[in-house]
Formats: sequence, C-alpha cells, structure tokens
Amino acid sequence: MEKHKAPTGHSYYYNAATKQSTYTRPVAPPVAGPVAPSPVTPLDPSQSFLQYQAVGNSIPSAGPNFNNFSQQQGQFSGGRGGFQGQSQHGDRPANYRPRPKPQPNDKPKSSRPIPGHEPWALVQTKYGRRFVFNTAKNQSYWRIPDKLKDGILALDQSRIKEKAEALEKEKQVNSERAPGAAERPALEPKEAAQSHGEGEDESAEYEELEVTDDEGEEGGEENPSKRQKTKEPSQDEPVEFDEDDIAFQLAAMGQEYGLEPGEYDDGNLEEWDEGAVEEISYEDSAYLFKDLLKDFGINPYSPWEKLIEEGKVFDDIRYTALNTMKARKEVWEEWSREKIKLLRELRAKEEKKDPRIPYLSFLQKNANPKLYWPEFKRKYKKEAEMRDTSMADKDREKFYRDHINRLKLPQSTLKSDLLSLLKAQPASTFNSTTLSSHLPPTILADIRYISMDAGSRDALIDTFITTLPPPPESVPEEETEEAIKEIKDRERRQKALEERGRLVAEEKRRQQRNLEFGKGRLRVEEAEIARAMNVTKKGLKNHLMTEDSGDKPS
Amino acid sequence: MPAIRHASKRKAPPAGFTDIEDDLLIFSNKMKDAENAGTDNVPRHAVHWPIFQISHQRSRYVYELYYEKEAISKQLYEWLLKNGYADAMLIAKWKKTGYEKLCCLRCVQTKETNFNSTCICRVPKAQMKDNQNVECVSCGCRGCASSD
Repeated sequence: MEKHKAPTGHSYYYNAATKQSTYTRPVAPPVAGPVAPSPVTPLDPSQSFLQYQAVGNSIPSAGPNFNNFSQQQGQFSGGRGGFQGQSQHGDRPANYRPRPKPQPNDKPKSSRPIPGHEPWALVQTKYGRRFVFNTAKNQSYWRIPDKLKDGILALDQSRIKEKAEALEKEKQVNSERAPGAAERPALEPKEAAQSHGEGEDESAEYEELEVTDDEGEEGGEENPSKRQKTKEPSQDEPVEFDEDDIAFQLAAMGQEYGLEPGEYDDGNLEEWDEGAVEEISYEDSAYLFKDLLKDFGINPYSPWEKLIEEGKVFDDIRYTALNTMKARKEVWEEWSREKIKLLRELRAKEEKKDPRIPYLSFLQKNANPKLYWPEFKRKYKKEAEMRDTSMADKDREKFYRDHINRLKLPQSTLKSDLLSLLKAQPASTFNSTTLSSHLPPTILADIRYISMDAGSRDALIDTFITTLPPPPESVPEEETEEAIKEIKDRERRQKALEERGRLVAEEKRRQQRNLEFGKGRLRVEEAEIARAMNVTKKGLKNHLMTEDSGDKPS
Repeated sequence: MPAIRHASKRKAPPAGFTDIEDDLLIFSNKMKDAENAGTDNVPRHAVHWPIFQISHQRSRYVYELYYEKEAISKQLYEWLLKNGYADAMLIAKWKKTGYEKLCCLRCVQTKETNFNSTCICRVPKAQMKDNQNVECVSCGCRGCASSD
C-alpha cells in the first residue's frame, strides 16, 4: 500500500498487490477483500462469482500471486452486468481528470428589451445582477440612466407577475414534494459533484455522470435535497425565485424608484394571485406550451423523442405549464400539425425559385477555363449550388461546358448576344422602370447573361434600360383582369348595398308619413266626437247654431 | 449484384424530403452507432434489441408524419418506404385494430413459438401478474398491447 500523488495534486493510495488505487485510505485491509490470499476464505458477497473459481481451483498450494491472477481474470472476463463497474474501477487514475473548481465568473443570462426605450435592453446576469445595454451603440452600463427607470419598473412588474403565475402553477404541480427542494443555490449541483467526486466509484466519463440519475444516488447521503432534484429535473429546475424573494425584490425596487408602498404590490402576492392567476385553464397552458415550442424554434417535423432527448425546453418555466407528459405530447402534436399546415400553405404561396439562377451566378464567380467539369465538380462539391437536388447534374454539366466555351468567344460576340437577349424580353417585364438589381428571371437564367464580366455587363444593362420605353399601359390591366373583376364586383356589391339602404329609408319615410297622416285624421275625428259629445242644455240646437255661425269651435 | 448507382445519378427525392432529412439522418447515425457498438457482456438474445428499437422508432416517425400529421406527400411516403426508411410490413400492422403499437413482426409470429402463441410483450399490462416487468426475447419490447 503506497501513497501517491496524482499530477493534479490529489493524493491517492495504490495497492501493489491488487493493483487497485483508491482515493480514500483503506482503513483496515479487509479479510474478505479481494486481496485474500487463501482461496478458502469467504469472499465479498458482491464478488460471489469468484467463489466458484476458487472452489474449482485444484492447486491449493498456489501462491498469492496466482490467486491474484485468477482474480483479475474473474474481474475482467466474468463480469457481466453488475461487475462492469469494478473493472473500470481499477484503471481509474489513468484517465481521471478532476475538474477545476468553478470560478465565480458572472455572465449574462437573459436580456429583455425595455418597452418604450427602444435600443435599450435590460440584462440579467447569472448571479442576479442587472445592467442596461444599448443595442444600438453596443454599450452597457451598470448604472441605470434615469430616463430608463420607469421602463425598467414596468418591465420588472410584468416579469414578477409572470413568475408568480408560474409559481402558483408550480405549487399545484408538486404540492406533495418537500418545500425546501425548490430553493437551493444555483451552484449546488456543481459543488455536489465536486464533493463526491472523491467518493467511491464512478465511470471514466465525468461529464455524463453529472446529469444522470445514479449520480444523484451516489451523492444522496451527503445531499438529500439533491436527490429530489434528480428525480424530476424538469419540474423544479427553472425555479430560482421564491415568493419571498419576489416580494423582497419588489419592495426593494419600490424603494429604489421612490414609490409609495401602495403603488406597487407590496409583498401581498397572495392577493393578486387569487384574483388573477389562481386557475389557468387548460387552453391557456396549452397556449403557453405552444409559445414555448415556437420560441425555441422547434422543428415541427422532428419526432417527440428528439425534443425530449435534447432537453432544451426543460429549463423554461412554460414547460411546467402542463403537468403531465401525456398532455405535453398531445399539445406538441397539435402544434406541429398546425405548424406543418401553415408551412405548407406558405410554401404554396411563394413562387418557385428557378434553381438555375443561383447556379449561374455561382458559375460566373467560380468557373475557370482551366478546369474540366469533373475537376470543377470535385472542387466545389460541398457548395450548396452544386448539391441542390432540384437541378440535375447533367444540366449543371451542360451549363458549365457551355459557359466555358462561351468564355473563349470574343467580347464583341458576347456583347451582341447579351443585347439580343435583352431585346428579346417582352416590354411588360422589362422596361424603363425595371431596376437593374431586379431583372426578370428570364434574363438571369440565361447563359448569355453571365458570359460577360459583371462590371461591364451591368453598365451595359443600365444604359440599355434607359433606352427602353415606359411600361405599356394596357398590360397591367390585362394581367390583373382578375383583380379588376374583383374590384368591380366589390363596387357592384357596394352600390347594391347603398341602393338597398336608400330604398329602405324611403320606405320607412313613407310609412312614417302614413302614420302621421293616420294620426292626424284620428285626432280630427276625436275632436269631432268630443264636440258631438259636448251636449249642453240647449241640446242639438246648439250644434246647429255653431255650424251656422261657422266660426265657434267648442 | 445490383448495379451501383452514384448519388449524383440518382433521381432526386420528392419534394418535402428536405424537411425531414435532418431527422432521418439522426436516425441513420443512431443506427450506425448501434450496429458498430460492441456486443461484449450483452446476452446473446439481446444483441439486436437496439437495432429493432431504432428501426421501430424510424418507422413510427414516418408513419406519424404521413398518417397522423399528414405532413408528407404520398409520393414522398412511398419513396421513403421504397428506400428503406420505414418498414412497410410493420406499418401495415399498425393500421389494424389491436396492433396499433406493435413492436416488431416477430412478436406476432405465432408459428415460431413453442405453444403457438404471440410474444409476452403482446399481453396487456392489466392481465400480467403483479406488475411483472418483461422484456421480450425477440426485440426487448416491454409491452406493446394497444390497451397499455
């Protein structure tokens, strides 16, 4: 048993007899341990498979060396399943690289644009410090300028509300879990890994260990809260804020900006929790999850397993909006279906791009009369233009050969060819309003366009465009017959609607007039009846007398 | 021996292949890894389990793209089947009731078993004794009954 010092500074112990090395000093060499010289001694239960070998050993007089030898054999060949770990155990110091202690280097974690102050963004660092960053000037300041303060305040309030909502949900999700599990220092996992890194057995890959579950089991004794975390890493990972933290931060912010306690929500998170966000409906959480998928740029064509294996989305709080994996998968399925549909519609709308255009411009850049086609192909086989599947290789070859042959022609021929190409264009697509940067595809996809070198060609085309007539008047109408029909239809509908409105109004007026008229007549009749009923002592005579006089209404 | 066709002489795949190309590449890389993984310390019957698993996943991927999400065209689907990206026979089973989750074709091949029965993984979880966990011998499936 010797003590050695590893190149990294750790000391370890090496047993020359068993060729095993450990970090912890073996206190008493166990009688039943692998070093046991006699084959008859009881063996470690974990190595019970050695018993059979030992029993079968017909040479009891063999020295300890021999036994060791058979031991090694057993370890390396007989190890199936459970004994795999031990065989790796032996050669650990060789490829064991302890990681350096984590340096407290702060770095930006999230950045949000400040609403209302456009080029500015508020950046939060890993350790919770904040600074402002001007995206336009690429400058950042720890000290926050006064003019940004109200914007930041608004931002903070919205963010805290969001967090509180998520927390509420979180609580519902893991109400049965220990309350202390949520709050833990951000550095803990690394430290835990560090502390038990000196522990008993682990495989050579350190990086993997840190994320797998069995690591949690190893470190479980030292760190009970850790185990809980590894069981459900997806659920409590995003939470670093506590309600108390939020309340504290809010209060501090209020003080910082000199607000009255009433102006912000002063620590009474529960109040608006109950009011606003107590119960998030399934639709809302589904939308949250969909937003998450959208924001992470998930490919809707990818399988669900890929999303889970990558695990990018686990860190987002919106991942916990849905409680069960089944629900998540359902929502994901729905989302991807919608998205694919949308993509397909978009694709149908946008016009087909001619693959020849990029290829020809690529040829103009790279084609060289010194290269044969196979050489050219080999040289540029990685380029996107050369790998585009929508263009056949034969066509590519044809274009290349044509282009190389044309390069050998005299300039004047090329020029006249180009001019004839330009002249052949219809006036509807190629006229004085055409921009030289937006030439019609019929020109761009022609071999004659790329034969001249770019500078002189562009000058030539520019001058040619100035000589062209303006766009013909009738052509757009012809082209947009459909649109015109549409417009006419719409006008017709509009007119019909107006006509109908007018008719209705007239009808209404007539009815009104009838009504008035009827009412007037009714009134007159009523008056007459009233007069007739007004019989005095004189009897009917009175009436007759008034009729005679003619000017005495009752 | 079939004629070797160079990649450049091959006909281009139908439209929409570029959307799923990356994911298919991931599957084929996984498959290569599984093929090249060592078989030491692996029980003899379990050597092919990862192969079955990946081929099942890939078939399922293509199946869902075509039948459930309707994300790929019929031409592309047929092209994928023809070029071995998915197992057409397995997909044919998935379309039948009771076989929606079938793991592999060997597990429903009753003639190959001693008692003319299907594989243990076809037994619904509800009918298994006290939550016993099984991994079927042919492909390592842990249960593929439709009711699970």
